Parts: sequence; structure tokens; C-alpha cells
Amino acid sequence: MKEMDTKQIKAFRGIGRKQVMDIIMPFFLVFLAFLLSSIWITFMGKNPLEAFATLFRGAFGSATSFANTIKKSVPIAFCSFAVIVSMKGNAFNIGAEGQLICGAIGATLAGALFRGLPAPLHIFLCIVASALFGMLFGLFPTMMHRFRGVDLLVIFLLMNNVAEYFLQYFVLDLFKSQNALVPSSRAIEKTAELPYLIGPPYRMTIAIILVLICAVVLTWFFNRTVAGYEMRAVGQNRQAARYAGIPIGRYTTMALLLSAMLAGIAGGLEVLGNYHCLYTEISPGFGYDGIPIALLCNANPLLAVIGSVAFGALRNGSLAMQAKVGISSEIVNVIQGSLILVIASNYFIRYLLNWRRRAK
Amino acid sequence: MEYAVEMCHITKRFQSVLANDDISLRVKPGTVHAIIGENGAGKTTLMNVLYGLYKPDAGQIFTFGQERNLKSATDAIACGIGMVHQHFTLLPRLSVADNVVLGCEPKRGLRYDRSAAIERVGQVCSKYGMQVEPERMISEISLGMQQRVEIVKTLYRGANIIILDEPTAVLTPQEIDELGKTLEQLKNKGKTILIITHKLEEVMAFSDDITVLRNGRHVVTVSKDETDIPSLTGYMVGREVHLGGTKQEHPFTEELLELQDVSCSRDGRPVLSHISLKVNRGEILGIAGIDGSGQTELTELIAGILPCDSGTVTYQGNDITRRSIAERKKDGIGFVPQDRHRHGLILDFSVEENLLLGLQREPRYIQHGFLQNRKEIHAVAKERIEAYDVRPADSGAKASQLSGGNQQKIIIAREMGNKPQIMVADQPTRGLDIGAIEAIHHTLVQHRNSGGAVVLASLELDEVMILSDRIAVMYAGRLMGILPAAQATREKIGLMMAGVGDAPEVKP
Repeated sequence: MKEMDTKQIKAFRGIGRKQVMDIIMPFFLVFLAFLLSSIWITFMGKNPLEAFATLFRGAFGSATSFANTIKKSVPIAFCSFAVIVSMKGNAFNIGAEGQLICGAIGATLAGALFRGLPAPLHIFLCIVASALFGMLFGLFPTMMHRFRGVDLLVIFLLMNNVAEYFLQYFVLDLFKSQNALVPSSRAIEKTAELPYLIGPPYRMTIAIILVLICAVVLTWFFNRTVAGYEMRAVGQNRQAARYAGIPIGRYTTMALLLSAMLAGIAGGLEVLGNYHCLYTEISPGFGYDGIPIALLCNANPLLAVIGSVAFGALRNGSLAMQAKVGISSEIVNVIQGSLILVIASNYFIRYLLNWRRRAK
Repeated sequence: MEYAVEMCHITKRFQSVLANDDISLRVKPGTVHAIIGENGAGKTTLMNVLYGLYKPDAGQIFTFGQERNLKSATDAIACGIGMVHQHFTLLPRLSVADNVVLGCEPKRGLRYDRSAAIERVGQVCSKYGMQVEPERMISEISLGMQQRVEIVKTLYRGANIIILDEPTAVLTPQEIDELGKTLEQLKNKGKTILIITHKLEEVMAFSDDITVLRNGRHVVTVSKDETDIPSLTGYMVGREVHLGGTKQEHPFTEELLELQDVSCSRDGRPVLSHISLKVNRGEILGIAGIDGSGQTELTELIAGILPCDSGTVTYQGNDITRRSIAERKKDGIGFVPQDRHRHGLILDFSVEENLLLGLQREPRYIQHGFLQNRKEIHAVAKERIEAYDVRPADSGAKASQLSGGNQQKIIIAREMGNKPQIMVADQPTRGLDIGAIEAIHHTLVQHRNSGGAVVLASLELDEVMILSDRIAVMYAGRLMGILPAAQATREKIGLMMAGVGDAPEVKP
């Protein structure tokens, strides 16, 4: 009996350690990132606890603030899907920001230029246009990478700048609105606006349903289809996939283009659902938000939805923090940067955590 | 009597695995002591404990009668213990002397004194009769020589007890003989040597005493004179084993595959030149050669992974020189790559997903043109796991959680399950324990007996000799010759492997 007990305890320890670490680790990393950011907040002469409390209240404090958080998380979720898909294909799409902007441009053009269409068709066309524009913008770097061996990170990052400056040209000159108070592009037709799921004052559109559908479809694609299986094989072990006869170059290209399409849709939904026209500040960096989320949730689309809500809360809450505590909302970028830093040091942190144990 | 090494009741646990369970070991000074056992028996763990890399959960270590508390390799070195790892830790772009003194360099002021280093290394070498040229670059010398450099490294640091982990894995037969002589010399100078191995011939040739471990426990310690290979095998496995399968007479003679004057290169460097050979049904063609002679490239060429620069590959009468990997797989060319972790498996995938790798486009696994037929995949995986005795028999377990032998069984099960005509296997038993080797030999011979062909590249000459019907010997990317098994002797093949010999009877 006594022996039985110890055996059970041993077995429990056996399954425990690593799996428990895998679950706890993302939370611990987020905690560390906040800790790092609070150092800066302290330097700025503010109380980090007060700042974070305000941030939290700004994100979840009332029904409207919660609705805003969810709204902010929509483009973030699509960007995290974009990064996840690229990771599954053994590449890393750091150019989601640029593709998002192009997707937004595509949706604006389709929304403003097509006239007299029934709403469902018009919306559908606009989403297709945003996906197409995002994909076309991703096409050049992808091809440069595949056929000329150009480094993906460098070319994607540079392309993001191209997109941002082109956006200014587009909004302020090419497609500017004649009678708007704030510099913006021409507005899209009424038929292209996404219908509300929950109307004013919350203004939640059907975009959130699209997020959920997309997460489910991606999970289904990776786990149930032959192409999804092959793409995962390429992402997990490129060489083994090649030895198994899977065309690895084709899959990486496919993953990058699909990824660019998803980022494009993120931009399109912002135009169709939230703004109904294009501003130069359409994205505060949603494309970059996708990266830590994809890494933290281990490229799982369903978990990424939760991660995106958390980041949406950060983006939304930081506005309240700026207004009430006087800390610039740019602090979100600091938190995000810290997060990427601690993710990159993941193994080092685990090593430190295990250090005492190994010394025994 | 004072022992050079005494390990008492060593216990070491990794999570749920008990790697060393109350093992005691005594080594007499001035002897060669072999530690043998199957993979996972705990040999390397025990030696890593002795070298200070692992701290035991329980137990004591004495060297020359003094209790030692070894917290790191540095402590072990200070106690006169040295270890040569299976994978060498040499810097290829530095000279022999630079490598030997790395970490405790002779200095003049703040500067590294290279000439003193060369001199001291030379002294150590001549004292122990080790033939090493201190000024040569590591990248220029053979693996056997590199191993000697590793031994010199331990001697330079004053080691009296030297641990060698699988020292013969990368050597040619001649180099193995050389190693035997080196060990003899070290022994005569009073050094104590521990070798970890699973090759029993070498155990009998080199060692004075033998300790057998099984499942983390000490089985027996015997003197070499009191034992023989069959009884050692019995101790290691706990039952009788029979390597080499059972070959049967068969009526098959048809030619399956022919290479004609094939050359190819990798990264712009020629790796195979003008290879011509034929493979027939019902035979095992063994490919012998020292590591890096082109055997891997030859197998990859047949599997379609490495493209030909010139020459033709004919399979069942069709020119397949330009066919893709996937097409060849479909046409019945099975392939077991050498590096199972990098090329054979996806470690983060489950056993079931790995069993499907490369076969995912077979019609039976597809529904409606693009969906996976989960039911069929599941059923086949279950059947394969059972037929090839993959353990644990859990199709959802990740491949990384399985032992090396069971990982290899997944690959063999996958490739054999696809009913190949010709099975190309590159070192399929490398690093596996005797039980798993037995099973793989049985599978390959079974394939031959039923009219399939096998191309088997292996660095283990004994393996090539017991399994093959014909033996092709390679050297520096060239085919030195093909011998029928009946005419092949270790000496003949050994010479051809070293590039010597008049290349007897090159029959394509």
C-alpha cells in the first residue's frame, strides 16, 4: 500500500513538470514583461500599479470599454492568424503591417468604387479585394525570398515602410476626401459597411464572427486536410518533409501568401467595420501585435483568439491610461517589446528557473 | 586492495525514469574496464556521474581510496578523471596543439605561448607513445587521429582515469586495431581506462574486466577470461538473440535497379564519381566504407533526394533519373535515411502522423480529394504499431518521447508498410540496442526472402558481412569493387575501405 502511494506520486511527478511549465510559462512571460515595463513607468515618475489598474479598468471597466476592447482585438486576431500560418509553413511573416495597410486600401477602393450592389455581395467583394491586395503586396518579397534567396525579415520590414508612405500618399492625395475635417480618404458606400451584431452604443459588427470562423477553419485546415498536414510537416521539420517528397518551397510560398491575405483582411475589416474610410493612422501597429501572440500561443489559432483579446485590452486600456494617468499610449509598444524580449529569452528564463533544482 | 574507481550504490533518476538504480562498480588500477549494455541501460549516465556532469541522487564515488564530491567536469579533471565523448569536441580550424591546451594554455605574460604548447603536447605524446602531429590542423587529420587528440587532451590535464564513450563508432577496422594498441600502451603506463560500448568483439579484444548493465541495474562484473560473447549478450538482453536474420533460398533473379556511370555533387563538391552497379530481386547489396566515403550520397541518389549530374538510373526497365522523391516512393523505392531525427521523423509529430509521412497522398488515406481519412490512418497506424512492436503502443505519443530503437521502428514500419520493391537503408541500426537491431535485421532479410531487394549502407562491417549477398566497397566517392559475400574477408574489405588494393573484380 505504501509502495503504491509513492509510485503514484512518482507517476504524477513524471507527467507534471514539463507540461505544467508549458501552461504556466506564457503567463509568467507576460508577467515579466509587465514587470519590465513598470520599471520605465517608475522612471517616468508614475505609479505602475495605478497605471496598470487604470489600463485594466479602461479595457474591461464598463460594457462600452469592453466592447471597444473586443473591437480592437479583431484586426489583432487576423494579424496573429497571419503570423501563425507563416510559422506553420516554416517562415516568419513580419510584414503583416504592410499587408494590413494594403488590404485596407483594397477594401476602401472596392467599397467606394463599386456602386449599386446588394450589401452582402458588396461586402464580400470588399473582403476579397482586401485579401487580394494584401496578398499582392506579399507576393514580391515572397518571390524574392523563394527565387533569389533574399532574407525574409529584412525585405518584409522594408516593405512595411513602403506601405506606410504609400498610405499617406493615398489618403492625402490620390484618394482624398474633399469635404472631411480630418484628413481621410473618400468614404465607402453604405452597402459596403459591415452590419452591426450589437448596435450603438457598442457598435460590434459581424467581424467578430469572422474571427471565430477563421480560427475554426484554420484549425480544421491544419488538422484535417492533406495540404494542412503537409504544411505542418514543412513547418516542423523542413528537411524531413523534403525527404518525404513534399514540395517544401511551394508550401512556404503558399503559407506566406495565405498569411499576407489574412493580414490584408485585418486591414479591410477595420475600414469596412470601424471607420468606413481610410486614415493615415489606420493601424497603431496591429501587424506587429500578431507576432508575440503567435509565439505565446504556440501557433494555435484558437488560443490566439484569447491572446488577441488580451492585446486588444492593452491597446484599448492604454488610451484610458494616457488620458487619466498621463502615460503615453505608446507604452503598449514598450510592453510589447518587453514581451518579445522575454519570449526570445524563454529558454534562458527556463534555465534560470531550473538552476536551483539542477544544482541539487 | 585500492581501487582506481569505486562507485557505491549510485542512483540517478530523470523525472520518471530511473537511469541508474543502485549501481556499484569497482575498477582496478591499470586495467581496461568495459561498461556494456543496451541503449538506455544507463552506461553513459553512470559515466557522466563519474565525470561530474550529473549529480547522483544517492551513492558515493571514490578514486584511489578517497571520497570525491564531483560537482562538475572541472572537479573531475582536478581528481584526475578525463572523458572522451562519442562526438568529439575539437575545433576543426585550430591545430592539434591548440586544441589540446584549450582552456589551460601556457602563457607568456598575457599572450598565448604557442611554441610552448607545441612542445608540451609533443612531450605528452612521446611519453605515452601517441602518434600525433601537434602542428597539423584538426580538419586535415583522420577521425582515428582526432580521437587520439582527444585522449592526449585528457593526458595533458593529468588524467589517470580515462573514460571513452563509444570510442569505435566512427573508426575503420584498422583504426580500431590502432586504438587497441593505444589502450594497451596507456595501460602499461599505469592509466586506468573505462570504455562504454555495445560492440562485444571489441570488448573481448580490449578489456580486462567487463561490467554489464541492464535497465539501469548492475547485472554482473566478470573478467574477460571467464566469459564469451554469447554469455555477454545474454547478460545484456536477458535472453538469447540471433542477429542477421535467416536467409532462405528463393527463385528470384530479376534485375530491379541499375546505376550507369552516375556522378553527382553536393554544394558544388563532387561526392560520387562514375558509379555503376546493379541490384537484383532477392538480394541484399551491402555498401561498406568508412564514414563519408559516399555511401549516404549513394542511398540518397537512389531515393531521389540527391540529383544526378550525369549518368542514368534505371528502375524496372524505366529511366527514373529525373523522377522526384515522391514518384520514386510511389513506384516502390523505400528509404530509411541515416539521420532519423533530421530526415526520417518529425519529432513534434505523433507516432501516427509520422507513420503517414510521405504516404499522405496515397488514395486510401484521402477522402473527397483533399481531406484526410482519419479512420483509415488510425487503423493502419494501429496495425503498424502492433506489427513492428513500437513501444509504447500509443499512436498519439510524440515521436520525440520514444527511444531511438522505437523511433527507428516507426520509420521501418512506414517504409515497409508501403510495400516497396527495393528498400534503401542508410545505417538503419546505428546507435540501436541489440534487441532492436535483431528486429531490423529480421525485417530486411524477410524482405529479401520474399523477392524484394535491399540496399544497405552501414559503417559496421560485421553487419554488412552477415546480411549481404554482395558487398560494394566505397572509398572517396568511388566504388572500389563489389565482392560476393562468400569471397569477402574483413582484411580484403578493410583494405578497399582505406582506398588500397587493386580493386578486385569490379562487376557492375
